[in-house]
Amino acid sequence: MISGSLPILFAALTAALPPEAAALVARLARPAPASTAYLEVRFVHLLRAPLVLRGELDYRGAERLGKRVDSPYRELTTIADGTVTVERAGRAPHRFAIGRVPELEALLAGFGALLGGDAGRLDAGYTVDIVENTQNWTLTLRPRAAALAARVRALVVDGSDAEPRCFALYEADGDADVLLLGAAAAVEPPPRTRAEVEAHCRRLAP
Amino acid sequence: MSARRLWIAAWWLLLGAAALPLARGLRVSGDLTDFMPPPVDAEQRLVLDEIGRGPASRLLLVALGDAAPEQLAQWSRALAQALRHDPQFAQVENGETDLTTLDPAWLPYRYLLSPTLDHATFDRGFLREELQQRLADLAAPGAAELQELLPRDPTLEVLKLAERWTPARTPLLRDGVWFSPRGEALLLVATRAPGFDAAAQAAAIGALDAAFRALPGTDTARLTLSGPGYFTARLAAITRAEAERLSLIGTLGFAVLLLLAYRSVGVLALVALPLASGALAGVAALVLGYGYAHGITLAFGFTLLGVAQEYPIRVFSHRRADAADGVAAVWPLLRLAIVSTAIAYLAFYASGVPGLRQLAVFTIVGLLVAGAATRYALPVLLPPRFRDSATLPWNARLAHALAAVPRPRWLPAALLACALGALVLAPTPTWQNDLAALTPLPAAELAREAALRDALGAPDVRHVLVLEAADADGVLALGERISPQVEKLIAAGAAADIELPSRYLPSLATQRARQARLPERAALADALAAALDGLPFPPDLFAPFLADVDAARALPPLTPARFAETRFGQRLRTMLVAQDGRCFGLGALYGVRDVGALAAFAAATPGVRLLDLKAASEALVAAYRARILVALAAALVLLGVAVATALGDPRRALRVLAPMSLATLLAVAVLRLAGVSLSLFHLVALALAAGLGLHYALFFERPVADAAEARRTLHATLVCVLAAVLVFGLLAASTLPVLRAIGLTVALGVTFHFLLSIQMARPR
Repeated sequence: MISGSLPILFAALTAALPPEAAALVARLARPAPASTAYLEVRFVHLLRAPLVLRGELDYRGAERLGKRVDSPYRELTTIADGTVTVERAGRAPHRFAIGRVPELEALLAGFGALLGGDAGRLDAGYTVDIVENTQNWTLTLRPRAAALAARVRALVVDGSDAEPRCFALYEADGDADVLLLGAAAAVEPPPRTRAEVEAHCRRLAP
Repeated sequence: MSARRLWIAAWWLLLGAAALPLARGLRVSGDLTDFMPPPVDAEQRLVLDEIGRGPASRLLLVALGDAAPEQLAQWSRALAQALRHDPQFAQVENGETDLTTLDPAWLPYRYLLSPTLDHATFDRGFLREELQQRLADLAAPGAAELQELLPRDPTLEVLKLAERWTPARTPLLRDGVWFSPRGEALLLVATRAPGFDAAAQAAAIGALDAAFRALPGTDTARLTLSGPGYFTARLAAITRAEAERLSLIGTLGFAVLLLLAYRSVGVLALVALPLASGALAGVAALVLGYGYAHGITLAFGFTLLGVAQEYPIRVFSHRRADAADGVAAVWPLLRLAIVSTAIAYLAFYASGVPGLRQLAVFTIVGLLVAGAATRYALPVLLPPRFRDSATLPWNARLAHALAAVPRPRWLPAALLACALGALVLAPTPTWQNDLAALTPLPAAELAREAALRDALGAPDVRHVLVLEAADADGVLALGERISPQVEKLIAAGAAADIELPSRYLPSLATQRARQARLPERAALADALAAALDGLPFPPDLFAPFLADVDAARALPPLTPARFAETRFGQRLRTMLVAQDGRCFGLGALYGVRDVGALAAFAAATPGVRLLDLKAASEALVAAYRARILVALAAALVLLGVAVATALGDPRRALRVLAPMSLATLLAVAVLRLAGVSLSLFHLVALALAAGLGLHYALFFERPVADAAEARRTLHATLVCVLAAVLVFGLLAASTLPVLRAIGLTVALGVTFHFLLSIQMARPR
């Protein structure tokens, strides 16, 4: 269910990320709307191979987010006015209140703070760590609330210079979901192991 | 203390001591069916059952508020948990879906219950499409829950059933439980006790409240309740509180009146003894004869027994120097009044309606015992000092003035004509069949009920779709047959949802047909292996699925009785009613918008009816009222015969009965002219007033030897009339229509009886 939060998480990445945490968050504020192509690699413990999806993310403000899947099937997920809607070709739309998934709601609040450039609100929900070298930086958010931490281990944003490349969500049960954004999404063939994905995100030599 | 006072104290103590075990021994029932005419057919029985015991009437709507949502959700779960262990509650819903916690032994049945196999087979193509959908699901919201389910149920039949078994309009889910748009956690609780049982509902509500308050931190939280059972309990409490308050004031006023009339504290200790003794004897008769009594029987019975309050007053007012016990002068007439009234109430016994029979037993026994107490016990306990009421100067002046009042012979005829004219001209319907109109709810409560019902998507309480067949399986099959038309009605907007019993359990034939489409294990394994080709699922992931399908092939189809072992089977059980060797299925309606379309569909479909519970219950009330009217008419005839026989002179009997009848008619005429529609409560109040009026007429008609005795009669009657007008006039001032109906009718009736007795009963 955490993958439903990816559109929200993406929104954070459309912002430029300066090296210092407070300054970084302050500059994360981003005018809506914005959209970008993504490559999603999702590692599910039930499956032998990761799910690989391509599509477009669409940010229209903290309250309104969209994630479109173009391949290998077509699907549109939108979060608007507290309701999550999943539409898949040939199926009746599936709707539910975002409150039904408290984690999703908490993440939405967290990224509302991130996108609003509100370091204080972000800090209330997450511990924020930054690691950087000459080329890359890595922003790690860990939820403070026990209920959320029981589901989500960490949210990790990788980027270089002013450009976010990857957004990764590490779930407590070991599953992981990585979104490669913009130029990083154009890689072909897509990375299929966790090591390959990490190397690609951090621009390490393969 | 004198021996006399000791005896009085002993009598009271005895009554007090008897009251407690009697009250414990008598089960007060609220079952309206006791008070209805015996149902003549299965449908009437069904209506009675539905009105009182139907699932909709047992629902309590619960809202928890004034705290953070996470806290409210936690309380909702804890409260539901506590109530599910309380035998007073049959069902507790708060949005938690426990399909995944369903006993695993039941899970293979999903292939017989879900409609998937009606239009699909588990072949390679179907399975491959399903598995591809599951891959997409794993990347969409809800994936974590899905992963647990997938190996056993790759086609998600469990979720399809959950969707099917959830009403179309469910409340918002938040933290896994229902919430209202206003941020309250919502629960639906079905009591075991029927909705009309005020005492049981009050107990259940008390238990619910206690369970909630026992949760830590709830002292500042808000618990809001609504629903038929809540209203029953609340109305009973409001009515009781109001009646007790007015009765207390009435009793104090009565005491002051007695003190003014007799200048003696002693009479206060005595005046209630005959009535209290009669009432206790009446209750004892009910305990011995029936073991229970309907609440309405008791309410009406105590009202009718009010005539006995006059017996001691007659004795007090008729004491005189040469006959200090006062009884000799009045007893023959009192005995006549008591016996003829008791004979009249035999008509109620003959009606055959259990509630009316009980009313007759209670009233007759009560009257006889109160009369006996007045005749044999009261005289020896009277206070030794008294004042002959004939010597009171004001009484003499009043008697003189009354004697001077003109008594034109044309007056009764003129009044009769006026009364009949008023009845014809009355602006409103004669009868009020909607008992709820007499016990209306505060507007704020009704608004809250509507809001909660809407937020919870609770079913319509007025209309029910009834499916009739020879047995339960026939009802389920009928439900399946009409289901396409029902879907069309829903699509056309006639109702937001129509919940047929077949939604929960398919007929045996349908289950067998689905079972026959399940492939053998080897064939399914081959189809699955082919479908999995190239997909990232591990090859042996779906072994539990193969095992379940294999198990489902050998299952005996599920019957309602076996299904009742599960939570959803409990829901189905409340929807199936066996009656007279037939089975009735009750289809709940949600958000009814077009009753006409539903009625037309029912009329055109054999075995299907649209039941309007409000219309049906009003028809029952009308039928019941017809019974009471017949009983009252028979009582009047019996009374006339008894009085005429006792007096031995038809002209004297006419002088007694004519003012009584005309006064009753006048009271009805005034009520009708004022726009009042008559209800059962008015009829009972009229009967009580007539009982009192009989006394006035009998005593005024009585030939007396001297003017002093006539003054004593006037004194007694005045005290009686003032007491009745005082006590019932207070009820007439009540804000509750039911108390107002009784109070106004009796006060009005008594006034007319008094005035007309003066005019018509006294010998010229």
